[in-house]
Amino acid sequence: MTPTRGGGVAVTGMGIVCAIGHGVPAFARALREGRSGVARVPGDAPWLCAPAGEVSLQSALAAGAGLPAALLERARRAAFRSPRTIHAALQAALEGWAAARLHQAPLPAERVALVVAGHNLTTGYLHRVAERRVHAPAHLPGRLALHAQDTDHVGTLGQALEIRGEGCTVGGASASGNVAIVTAARMVEAGAADACLVVGAMADPSPLEREGFLALGAMAADDGREDPRRVCRPFDAGHRGFVPGEAAACLVLESPRSARRRGAAVLARVSGYTLALDGGGLAEPSEEGEARAMAGALERAGVDPRRVDYVSTHGTSSPLGDATELRALRRVLGPALGAPWVNATKELTGHCLHAAGVVEAVATVVQIGQGFVHPNPNLARPIDPEFRFVGPAARPAAIGAALSSSFGFGGFNASVVLAAPGH
Amino acid sequence: MVFDEERRGGDEDPVMAAIRRSVAAVMPDVDPGSVTPGRSLAELGCNSVDRVDVVAMTMDELGVAVPVPAFAEVRDIGTLAELLRRHL
Repeated sequence: MTPTRGGGVAVTGMGIVCAIGHGVPAFARALREGRSGVARVPGDAPWLCAPAGEVSLQSALAAGAGLPAALLERARRAAFRSPRTIHAALQAALEGWAAARLHQAPLPAERVALVVAGHNLTTGYLHRVAERRVHAPAHLPGRLALHAQDTDHVGTLGQALEIRGEGCTVGGASASGNVAIVTAARMVEAGAADACLVVGAMADPSPLEREGFLALGAMAADDGREDPRRVCRPFDAGHRGFVPGEAAACLVLESPRSARRRGAAVLARVSGYTLALDGGGLAEPSEEGEARAMAGALERAGVDPRRVDYVSTHGTSSPLGDATELRALRRVLGPALGAPWVNATKELTGHCLHAAGVVEAVATVVQIGQGFVHPNPNLARPIDPEFRFVGPAARPAAIGAALSSSFGFGGFNASVVLAAPGH
Repeated sequence: MVFDEERRGGDEDPVMAAIRRSVAAVMPDVDPGSVTPGRSLAELGCNSVDRVDVVAMTMDELGVAVPVPAFAEVRDIGTLAELLRRHL
């Protein structure tokens, strides 16, 4: 099925909690300012990360201010003893639920679905339980068997929001967010649900996994001196690896008919997408696979490469990844390569791993809605100066069609086209 | 009221006091006064997962580790307290 122009799935709500903003309005301001959330995390072995800061059950419930008391009480009971990552997911989901006005113009619970982006989401939690158990052998939380599973996100959010349609987690390494958006869009297009919440889950990697990323040379090591905000510099000659970031983000995807019936405002449309494997299981990116995902998404959306207004890159600040992505983008855009604005949200938010695709979709919809493209202050010496990179300051931009991509270890390529509501 | 409760807790045996604190942490809606030897955790509204949490937290606080099969003998809060006391 090829969605025709003006078709696709509507975005009717968004929520986010990340290093540069709790809530969409704060996030939008930080994007415009080009503020970096990267910091040095103190400890025995200091490391670089863009931490989401104070996230708790209280902050989650506060994000749902304005929702009915009974719903918030349900949410409180569902997530009362949950780990911080679940509180972050709940925070983003409650904000998205309220923004989509699913409390004021509700859908039958059976017609709402839930897709959580991410896998291996509990390794940090399990590491901390194991560490504590060394000193207190009896220590074993009653909910361990539940909290140890990624699907705890689905169960807890499903209970909090009383969702009774389809639900699952989906994985695609760092492309998980976009894989989840595609999965949800298909559910809605297939008529399996009227609306689907897509929740990008906050990564909480264990120290062992962080070491693994470092050993692979994928993650930027902390030299202990550099200004942390300057380390993540996608597409700059000084790039030297990704910097992890904490975020949970939510998109409410809905059929245009359901949005109309409910009188829900349409913020943007997911008008095309393509998922493509490289047929290779390693960490190396593939120019061919990335180009196939990007070109496929544009084709399905009916957007000519010359009519792309904005490219939200995967841009992680990895030398190999950045160079490969620009080569792929060259292939896709052809002679129009200097036309669309290009930026990398990860410079500001850090690499939010499984949630990245959803974080960047929220950033893209914000930029479509507010008519600007966010800056990349660290991009001083572009590795390919022919692209139209946004400079050190935000620029006004009328975005009709935007291409947002995520690529993951193991050969996952995932691109989505987000279009302005009337485009 | 709270002050009285705490003072009563101070006179009480440490195992019951620890159980009461764990119940309060897991089930904030439960009246701490209702945590008595004659009642069961299920009666207080604890589901299966809540009960494991209460027991684990109590063992943590008391610094005891009771093997899981031993809990088969537990009928109510009183027998739970006795079991934990034997491992102190």
